[in-house]
Amino acid sequence: MPAKELNKICMECKDAEFELTVRKRQLCRRFIAHKVQSRLSVYRAFGLDGPKHQLLLPVSLGVSSSVLMHILNSDRQNRLSNGRPLGYDFKILVIEPSTIAATGVPFDKNFEALQKNLPMHDITRIPFHSIFDYVPEVKEILQEYAGSKFIDDSAQSNEQRLAAFRASIATPTSRTDVDSVLLTRLVVEFAKKSGCESVMWGDSDSRLAAKALAGVAKGRGASLTWQVSDGMSPWGVRFEYPLRDLFKAELLQYESVCAELSDIVIPDQPPSENVLTKNLSIDELMLRYVQNQGAKYPGVMANVARTANKLNPSTSGSAPTCALCASLLGNVKGNSGVTVANQAEDNHSSQFCYGCMRSRPEELC
Amino acid sequence: MAPTACFNCKEARAVIIRPKNRHKLCRACFINIFETEVHETIIGTNLFFPGERVAIGASGGKDSTVLAAVLKTLNERYNYGLDLCLLSIDEGIRGYRDDSLETVKRNAVQYEMPLDILGYSELYGWTMDQVVEQVGKKGNCTYCGVFRRQALDRGAARLGIKHVVTGHNADDVAETVMMNLLRGDLPRLSRGTSIVTSSDASDIKRSKPLKYAYEKEIVLYAHHRQLDYFTTECIYSPEAFRGSARTLIKDLEKIRPSSILDIVKSGEDMAALVPVEVRGAGKSKQLAEEESAGGCGSQNGRTSGGEMAAMEAQLAENEEAESLETEIKLHNGSRVKANRGPTGKAVKAQTIKHCERCNYISSQRICKACTLLDGLNRNRPKTAIEVGVGMEDEESSSTLMRQMERAQLSAT
Repeated sequence: MPAKELNKICMECKDAEFELTVRKRQLCRRFIAHKVQSRLSVYRAFGLDGPKHQLLLPVSLGVSSSVLMHILNSDRQNRLSNGRPLGYDFKILVIEPSTIAATGVPFDKNFEALQKNLPMHDITRIPFHSIFDYVPEVKEILQEYAGSKFIDDSAQSNEQRLAAFRASIATPTSRTDVDSVLLTRLVVEFAKKSGCESVMWGDSDSRLAAKALAGVAKGRGASLTWQVSDGMSPWGVRFEYPLRDLFKAELLQYESVCAELSDIVIPDQPPSENVLTKNLSIDELMLRYVQNQGAKYPGVMANVARTANKLNPSTSGSAPTCALCASLLGNVKGNSGVTVANQAEDNHSSQFCYGCMRSRPEELC
Repeated sequence: MAPTACFNCKEARAVIIRPKNRHKLCRACFINIFETEVHETIIGTNLFFPGERVAIGASGGKDSTVLAAVLKTLNERYNYGLDLCLLSIDEGIRGYRDDSLETVKRNAVQYEMPLDILGYSELYGWTMDQVVEQVGKKGNCTYCGVFRRQALDRGAARLGIKHVVTGHNADDVAETVMMNLLRGDLPRLSRGTSIVTSSDASDIKRSKPLKYAYEKEIVLYAHHRQLDYFTTECIYSPEAFRGSARTLIKDLEKIRPSSILDIVKSGEDMAALVPVEVRGAGKSKQLAEEESAGGCGSQNGRTSGGEMAAMEAQLAENEEAESLETEIKLHNGSRVKANRGPTGKAVKAQTIKHCERCNYISSQRICKACTLLDGLNRNRPKTAIEVGVGMEDEESSSTLMRQMERAQLSAT
């Protein structure tokens, strides 16, 4: 019956059958793809006049970054087969998950599936500890950062040295914090070495909200302008978050209708129930908070990332920055607060920013 | 186990683990360090000038009692030359305020400071108990917060004092930062953390010298100096965003004790990054009535969820409207900016005016207190639309003016 068939039509394009229910509306997958592509149109425009804009897409093999990769690839294939200009091209970087998380599941099959699915693509796979090769100065920085109690044994392999450094950090919050700082640096350095001008991060709206809240809670409020907002990072590489309009739940729906993603994506580990709050990392606490509250108030949570995105980047120009994370040392221009002065005992090294000082191995809390 | 020596003096026995950084300290060192940190805050921000008359907003609770005790101590120790007095507001909450006011009266004697008490019933014609009877328990914090802020200013004006200090602590400030982030309230995010809140149009300067002091340390300080304060929580519940932020901060403190201070630091930095056009009434200026409502220091985390649900509905509506919009491309370059800018929400510029009813400073024609009073006097709760409600109805809100006139008469 025609009436019945009408019910199955995507409310947006009125053409395809609907596959997803996004914010109470029945839509086809093109809607989600469109939300992402509209954020990339500027790169398309750049590439029309000159050389293609090179983007780097770090893929964790999780749901969000894999969906972003799928959308970018579909867009690319569509344009190529229709003979339309693409304007940009992208490289894929996989930092081996097993070298990041101790409990990492084997990912070789997922990586093979990824290569099989995108045969024409420039895909690189590197371990976390290759940061010592990509950012050679990081060895000295880490030694300085970790303090006198940590002794770096240069006779050890890079893998062992990174493991020893990470093990010297006492709390889950500091460990997660420093890990994400190091991962960001590795991605940035890879981007620079491979000629990419921008990094496309696969953070969903939910994740960005959690990142914003966690960043604030860790004293990194000033860095939200590139850690959550689209904009220029301190290393001269642009950071973009094209999934910022999509909730994690919506990306999960998209993944479920794309058969080719099922072999690539490593499913999220369900959050363990029996963890005391004090043993969580701040990042994890915030992810859980956004998930719980997001079930009831998705719009309010989405609004957190949007609010952070409205902040102006700091105009401190040539002000000294943190040796580790490149955030501003001291206060943002115009902030006359005395939080830093009040923490005089923390200020014995002026090389690191407020947020990094909090995550130092010697810091007790 | 042998007793641990104090981290600071290395001699006396440590009896306190500092909540802020887990240092183990003896009683004397803790008290000294706590006072010195408040002193550093005061000096670092040039909070006072010699000979300044300062009113301490005193509730009889731990925060304001500690503030009074510390200010008295520091004033004498470092010769600030301040003329200190206590100013109390009687909200009219039976069983909560009656006893705490007795405490304030004792404090006045203990600290040898003059005390002035100003009541809601005297000012507005309504006690909080009567307000709650009328509007119910939901949203009553808004009334209390708005009324109290005006009351403190009016009380100070009555005493001819231009600087009111309040006992807001680091936990309160951190809570406000998180709350404003959750509410997406950039103008308040740009002002909520500054130690001094004043405006060109108002004579009264407000400040919070305990802004960097942890609530837990305030309790410890009060305990170890055996201060006479009143322990109770407001019997009415906070609004949902504050409640949610409060729960979050308590969890964060368990994970990393420094995080309260870290949030304050983030809040200060972010305040400086809020675009100028969104900041409202000028850089680091604030309308006193605008200060986050509901921050009365009540420590319960109960939430009604009403405000969050209302905002959720509003956001969903906006999104639906947005999906019906047709995007018009001007030229390709302009798209980046469009993505970064505020999402279609017009930025409200605030201008400082005076309330047409009571002459109190306000960003609207009618100040918040008078608008709320309108609702109360009309025998119904506050309406959701704040601007322009019932402004024509001049009759209903003359209560405030009458009460103010009476208060001024009695002062002269």
